[in-house]
Amino acid sequence: MEKQHPAAVGGDGPGPSSSRKPWGSPSCGPSGGGGGGGSETLDSPTGSHVEWCKQLIAATICSQISGPVPSDMASRDSKNLPGLRFGSNAKMFQNKVPLLPGENIQTTVKDVMYICPFSGLVNGVLTVTDYKLYFVRVERESPFILDVNLGVISRLEKISVPNQGENTRGLELVCKDMRSHRFAYKTEESPLDLVPLLTGLAFPLSHSTSLFAFQYKEVFPVDGWKVYDPLAEYKRQGLPNESWTISKVNSTYELCDTYPSVLVIPTNITDEDVKRVAAFRAKHRIPVLSWIHPETQATIVRCSQPLVGPSDRRCKEDERLLQIIMDANAQSHKLAIFDARQCSVAITNKAKDGGFESESFYPNVEMHFLEIPNIHVMRESLRKMKDVLYPTIDEAHWHSAIDQTHWLEYILLILAGAARMADKLESGKTSVVVHCSDGWDRTAQLTSLAMLMLDSHYRTLRGFQVLVEKEWISFGHKFAARVGHGDENHANSERSPLFVQFIDCVWQMTRQFPAAFEFNELFLITVLDHLYSCLFGTFLYNSEQERTAKEVPAETLSLWSYINSQPEDFTNPFYVDYEHHVLYPLVSPRHLELWSSYYARWNPRMRPQVPVHQNLKEILVLRAELQRRVEELQREASSSHSLSSSHSSPSPTHAAGTPLHTVV
Amino acid sequence: MLTGSKTTFKVRQMLPDIKERMLSQSGMNARSRDVFGLRCLPGECVLQRAVMVRKKLSAREGRGWLSGTLFCTHFRVAFVPQDSPKPDDNADPVLLGDHDVALASIEKVVVVGPNRTKLVTPNSSLKFTPEELVLYCRDMRVICFLFDRLTPDTQVLEMTYTIAKTYQPPKPGSVLSFQNAALGSVEMKQFLSNRRRDSHMNWCESVSDWEQELERCGASGWRVSSVNDRFEMSTSLPRFIVVPQKVLDTELKKSFAHFNEGRIPRWCWRHPRGSDLLRMASFQNNIYYEKDDVRNLEMVLFGCQSSLCVVVELGEELPSPADIQLAHGRLRSLCLGDISTSVSVPDDKWLSSLESTRWLDYARSCLKKASEVACLLRGSHLTVALQEAEDRDMSCVVSSLVQVMCDPHCRTQRGFQGLVQKEWVTAGHRFYSRVNHHRDNDKEEAPVFLLFLDCVWQLLYQFPSRFQLTNDFLLALHDSVHLPLFSSFLANCQRERCKRHQNSGQSYTPVNGWRDTLHSDSSPDPCDPPLPPVWDWALQYSQQRRDAFTQPVPPLPPAQPLLNGNLNTNPDSHRSDAVPGSVFLLSRGTFSCPANLLPWRGSGGSSVYKKSHRRAASSENVPGLERLLKAWALTELPCGLGSSSSSRPQGPLDPYEPLLPLLTGPCMGLWRECYLRGALHAQAFSHPVSANHAHPVERLAREVQQLKDKLAQVSAGTPHSPPPAKVAEPRRSDTNLNQNTNNGTFLFPAQRPQGPAGPRAVPAPTSTNHQTSRGPPPSSAPPTRPAHRDAGGSNKQSFLFGDLSAREQQQVHYYAATSNAKLPKGSGSSMAS
Repeated sequence: MEKQHPAAVGGDGPGPSSSRKPWGSPSCGPSGGGGGGGSETLDSPTGSHVEWCKQLIAATICSQISGPVPSDMASRDSKNLPGLRFGSNAKMFQNKVPLLPGENIQTTVKDVMYICPFSGLVNGVLTVTDYKLYFVRVERESPFILDVNLGVISRLEKISVPNQGENTRGLELVCKDMRSHRFAYKTEESPLDLVPLLTGLAFPLSHSTSLFAFQYKEVFPVDGWKVYDPLAEYKRQGLPNESWTISKVNSTYELCDTYPSVLVIPTNITDEDVKRVAAFRAKHRIPVLSWIHPETQATIVRCSQPLVGPSDRRCKEDERLLQIIMDANAQSHKLAIFDARQCSVAITNKAKDGGFESESFYPNVEMHFLEIPNIHVMRESLRKMKDVLYPTIDEAHWHSAIDQTHWLEYILLILAGAARMADKLESGKTSVVVHCSDGWDRTAQLTSLAMLMLDSHYRTLRGFQVLVEKEWISFGHKFAARVGHGDENHANSERSPLFVQFIDCVWQMTRQFPAAFEFNELFLITVLDHLYSCLFGTFLYNSEQERTAKEVPAETLSLWSYINSQPEDFTNPFYVDYEHHVLYPLVSPRHLELWSSYYARWNPRMRPQVPVHQNLKEILVLRAELQRRVEELQREASSSHSLSSSHSSPSPTHAAGTPLHTVV
Repeated sequence: MLTGSKTTFKVRQMLPDIKERMLSQSGMNARSRDVFGLRCLPGECVLQRAVMVRKKLSAREGRGWLSGTLFCTHFRVAFVPQDSPKPDDNADPVLLGDHDVALASIEKVVVVGPNRTKLVTPNSSLKFTPEELVLYCRDMRVICFLFDRLTPDTQVLEMTYTIAKTYQPPKPGSVLSFQNAALGSVEMKQFLSNRRRDSHMNWCESVSDWEQELERCGASGWRVSSVNDRFEMSTSLPRFIVVPQKVLDTELKKSFAHFNEGRIPRWCWRHPRGSDLLRMASFQNNIYYEKDDVRNLEMVLFGCQSSLCVVVELGEELPSPADIQLAHGRLRSLCLGDISTSVSVPDDKWLSSLESTRWLDYARSCLKKASEVACLLRGSHLTVALQEAEDRDMSCVVSSLVQVMCDPHCRTQRGFQGLVQKEWVTAGHRFYSRVNHHRDNDKEEAPVFLLFLDCVWQLLYQFPSRFQLTNDFLLALHDSVHLPLFSSFLANCQRERCKRHQNSGQSYTPVNGWRDTLHSDSSPDPCDPPLPPVWDWALQYSQQRRDAFTQPVPPLPPAQPLLNGNLNTNPDSHRSDAVPGSVFLLSRGTFSCPANLLPWRGSGGSSVYKKSHRRAASSENVPGLERLLKAWALTELPCGLGSSSSSRPQGPLDPYEPLLPLLTGPCMGLWRECYLRGALHAQAFSHPVSANHAHPVERLAREVQQLKDKLAQVSAGTPHSPPPAKVAEPRRSDTNLNQNTNNGTFLFPAQRPQGPAGPRAVPAPTSTNHQTSRGPPPSSAPPTRPAHRDAGGSNKQSFLFGDLSAREQQQVHYYAATSNAKLPKGSGSSMAS
C-alpha cells in the first residue's frame, strides 16, 4: 500500500516514485507539508491536514511550504485518502530542487534571508530556475519552503535592509496574486547579481526571450487543446439553423483581427453588409451569436459599441443586422441591448467616436445600462483589497475595509447584470445584445456568466473549459495585456483583473448553488494560478490570430491537459446536473462573500480547518460499499433461498440512487 | 387548487362570529382535531381562514412559492400547503407545523398593498385590500404570504385583522394567555403530564445525573454534595453541586458566605488530560473570616489537583449583557431592515454596518476567551476556575464553549442538550430576565444565550465535520428561545423552576378560555402540568425536521464514553516543575500571581496562606502556563518558525484536541441561515432551485440509510441461509462496539421507528419520495439518471479514490466495522415494522 502513496516514499530518496504519474505535478513538485508556512504542519498531521495540503499544493503553484510530515502519517492516512499525486517529500529532504520537464536551474544563492511577514527572518538557500524561485530553509528541523513561479511576479524592487551588514541587499517581489515576498542576500554569496538575472527571467518578453510555456515539456495523457472545437460547440447548440449560419467571413482574420475565425451570424446577411457593419463597430467587432436558447431561439449576441460619434452617425446595415437578429427569435418583438457601461460614460464615449444604439434609430430596441465601471476602477479595487488582506488583516475593521475596496459591489453589479440578461432571455424570451466599449472585457464577463446561468452544460468541468475558451480566449479578451505575461511594465494601465473578477463571480455562484457545478473551488483557484504562471499556453496572447501566428497549440501545453488528466481532484463530488434549470444567484450584498480562500490564502491564519470534501467523499465511499453489499447479499439470498419481498432484483438499488455524480 | 364551489361553501361556514366558532370547535370538535385540513391541538380553535394563499419560500426551502390555506388560531398562524397529506389524528400533537408561526413569536405585522406598505396594529383599519402579508418574528424569521386575486377580500381583511388582534404584543401578562392557548386544554395537560423525558440526555438535575456526568468525564476525587438541597446556601445554585471529595459539607458551608450570591467554586468538567474546569462568582469582600475559611476555600478551589490553579477573570475582556443586548438590537434591525418601511441598509454599506453592530466582535471575544481556557486545560492537572462577578452570564458562555471545543460528546445533539442543562439551565443563567418574555424588566434583557448559539455556530462553520449536531438543530433551539412555552427558559434558576413545579396552580390560568382570565386565581387547576422542557422536540417539530438535527455521518473520532484521564499519555512537563498550591490570575492574556487574589488576605490571616504555599517559587510556573497559551497562539498564527514542537498533540485523531477557531476577520462568518432568513431583499427572479447546502448531502445520507436498512432487511430475511461471513460477523462485533458507542444514535439518527422507516421497508421507494417531502421540486432529479449510474457504476470507486485496490480494501474494512455496529439495530427496527 505504501508504495502507492507518494508521500510514503518519504524516506528513501528522490528516486522515482512508482505512483506518481508522469504528469503529476506541473505546478509544484515538493509538497508534503503544506501550508501557509512555518511550523504549522507540525501541528496535527491529520488526515484532514493532508487533504488540505493537497488542495493547497495543487492550488498554489508557489506556496510557502513547510514541515516534514512524518512518513508514517502517510500510511496512517492512506486508508482514508486518495493518493497524493503531487510529488514526494523525498526531494525536500535532499535539498534538491524539484524540476519540471524542461526547467533548468539558473543560479543558486546561499545565505539568503526570507523576510516572512508572518514569522520574521528565515535563513536559507534560494534557487532560481527559468520557471520559479525556490527557497529552502537551512535548518532541517522545521523546514520551510517557498516556491514562487516567476510568472506571478508583477515587479521587482530593491529594498533596503537595515541591520544586516553592508553587503546585504534587499529584494522585494510584488506578485500579481495578492502577496509580496522580501529577501535579503549578501552580494559575495551571489555569483551573479540577482536582480538583473531575475528581471530577465521574470519578464522574458521585455528582454526578447520566450515564455517558459514554450520550454515546458510535460507529457499529459489528455490533450487539452482539443477541448474546444467551435464547430462542435455550435453544433451542440443546434447551429447552424435556418436563421443562423456559421460564417467563414473571418477565416483569415481580415474582417476582425480580435475575433475568432469561426463566427455565427444571421443567414440573411451578405458578406458585403457584414463588412459595412464591421466598419461601424469599434475594432470591427460585429454582433455575433454567443448562445442560442434551445427552445425559444432567443440569443445572446455580443459586439462592441457602435461608432455613433458626436454627430449620431447611422449605419443601415447595422440597424438591419439587429433587426434580423430580433426577427430570428419569433417569440419576441423586442431586442434588449445591454450596455455594460455606466450611462454617463456611454454618452461621453460619443465624443470619442463611440456611443450606443439610439432607440429612435433602432426600432423595438430597449437599452439597458448596467453601470459597471471600467477596467481601471477594477484594478484599483483589487489593489486596495491587497492592502486590506496582505500581509496583515485588521480584525476590528475588517468588514468596513472590505466595503471600502468596493470589490464586492462590483461583483454584485456584474452578477446582477448577467442575471438580468438571463432573465430577459429566459422569462422574457427576448434576444439580448451585449456590448461595452470594445466588447472584450465586461462583455465577456456578462455573456459568459449569463451562459453559465442559462446552460447547465457550462457548469460541467469540460463545459466550463469550453466556456472560457470560447467567450474569453477565442473572442479576444486581451489576456496578455490584462495580465501582462512576461512584461516588465507593471504600471501599464492596460492591466486589470477582469478574469479574476469573472472567476470570483463563478465562485459566488458555486457558493449559492453548491451542487450545481461539477467543478470545485480547487479548480477555480488552479485556473487563476495558471492565469499568471505562464506554464501553459492557454491564457497567452491577446487573440486567436496571435496564438495561431505563434503556434501556441503546437508549441505549448494546455492547462486543460493538466486538469483533465486528473479530473477527480477538480470535481465536486456532489454535483447534480440541474439540467434545464436556470440559476439566478441572489444578488444582494448580504448573500455575497469575500472569496477569502483565494484572496487571503497566503495568510497562515486562514488555514481551513476541516475539509468538508473529505467527509463528503467518505459518504460516497460508504454508499458505494453499502450498495455493493446489498447487491451481494441479494445475490446470495436469491441463490440460496427464494425469499419474499426484498430480493426482487438488484435494480431497485439503482433506482433508489440519487442523481449524484461520483465521478466525472 | 381547491374547487371554487367547495371553497365558497367553506367560506360561508367560516363567517359566524368568533365566539360561536370557538364554542363549536372547542366543544364538539375536541376529539377530531382536523379542521379544514389543519391539524389543531386539543382545544385549539380556528379563528380565521383564507384560501388560495401562497407562502414565499426562503432560499433554504427552495425559493419560489407554495400555495395552500392560511389559518389563524388563537395560538398560531398556520399554513397548510394544498397537497399536504391528510393529518393523522392518532399521532401525538405537534405544536407547530413546518410552515407555522406561533403568535407569540410574531413581532410585527405588515401588509403590502398595491403601492404601499402599512404596519398593522390591533387598532388599525385598512383602507385597501392587502396583497401581501408579512410577519416579522422575534426569532428573525420573516414570513411572507401572498394573497391571490381569488382569495375573497373579506377573508384577506379578516385574516389581517385577526392576526393583528391576536398576536401577542410585548406586554406583561400576555405570556400567560399564550401559554394557555397552547398548552392549557385538559387534553394537552394530560398529554404533557404523561410525557416521558428523554432519558438519553443528562438533565443534570438529580444526584445520579451528576454522578453520571462525573463518571463520563472520569473525574475522580469529586463528589456530589446536596448541601444546597433546599436552596438554603445559595438561592441561585442548583440543588446539587460537585465539590472535592475531601471537603466535608460542614467545611463547605462556611465558604458560601465568601462568594457573591453564595456561588462557590464548583466543578463543571474534566479534561481528559486531567485538568478540571470550575466556575465561581467573585469574592465577597469585607466579610469576617476565620483561618479555616481560607483553608477550606483553597481546598475547594484546588479541587483534587495539587499543583496549580488558574483563575480566569471573565469580566473585562468580554461584553457585558448590556453590550450584547445593544449589539443584538442593531443586528436585528440591520438584518430585518426597517420593519415598517421595508427600507434596508444601502448595499455598499452592508459590511460596514454589520461591523458596527459589534455582534461578531463579541462572538469573537467569547471564542477567544474560551480558546484560551481550552488551551490551559490541555496542560494536565491544573484547575482552571472561571470567575465572573455573578457567575451567571459570561461564565455560562465560556464554560460551555470550552466544553464544545474540547469534548466531542458536547458536539452531539444529546450531549449538547446536557451541556445546556448543566451550564445554563441548572447553573442558574437568568433566562427569565435575559429573555424577558414577560416584559417586566427591559433593563435586564440580554440575549446572552443567543450569543452563545452564534459562537457554537461559528465553531460548526469552521469544523463542520466535527459536529454531530447540525445547523438545523441550532436554529430550532434559537427559535425555541423565543417561544414562551418552555420551562427551560422561563425561570432564572433551579429554585424558581422547582417552586413553579410545586404550586403551578398559581402561575397558570385554567383552560377554558382563551383570554378568559376570570377564573385564573379563584380556581387553580390542581393538575396543571408543568411547562415542558425545550428538549421535548417531538412536541415542537415534525419527525422530518427533527431528523435534520443530527448529521448523517458521524464525526471522525467516535465518541468514547469513558475518558478516565487515560489520554494523559504525555508525561506532562507542568506537573513536575509545578509547586503545589500556586494560584495565578489570567487576565488579558497574561498571568500574574496577585497579592490579593483572595480579598481577605493581606491582613491577619495571610501568613497562614503564605506559609502553606511557598509563593516565592510559584512564579516559575508562569512560563509553563504561558507555553500552554502560546500553543493556541501558534495554531492561530503558525509562524513561530523556531518554536519547538514539544507541546504538540499526540495523535492526529486525538478527539479531545480542542477545536480552536480562527478568529481573523474573514473567518468569522455571519449566521445567514438564522439572521437573513427573511431575505425580503432577495431579488425578484425567484426560481425553484434549491440553494440548500445540505440538500444533496442529506439525500445521499438518506440513501445510505436506505441501503443500510435494505441490507438489514436482507440479512434479517435470511437468518438461516448461509452467508455466515456477513451475518455472523456483525453480531460478534456488536457487543464490542456497543461499549464504545454508548448511544447508538451516534452514527446515524438511526432507529427511527416510524416515519421514514415505513416507506423504506418497501423496496420500491426512490429518491423522488424524499424530494417531495423535502421541499425542492422533483425536477432536480432527472429520472434518466439510473441508466447513467449503471454504466459508470463499476469504475466509480476506483476513479474517486485513486487506483489502489489495496487501499480500497482497507476502506472496506474500515467501513464494514462502522456499519456493522448499526446492522442489528437496523434489522431490529425493520423486523418490528
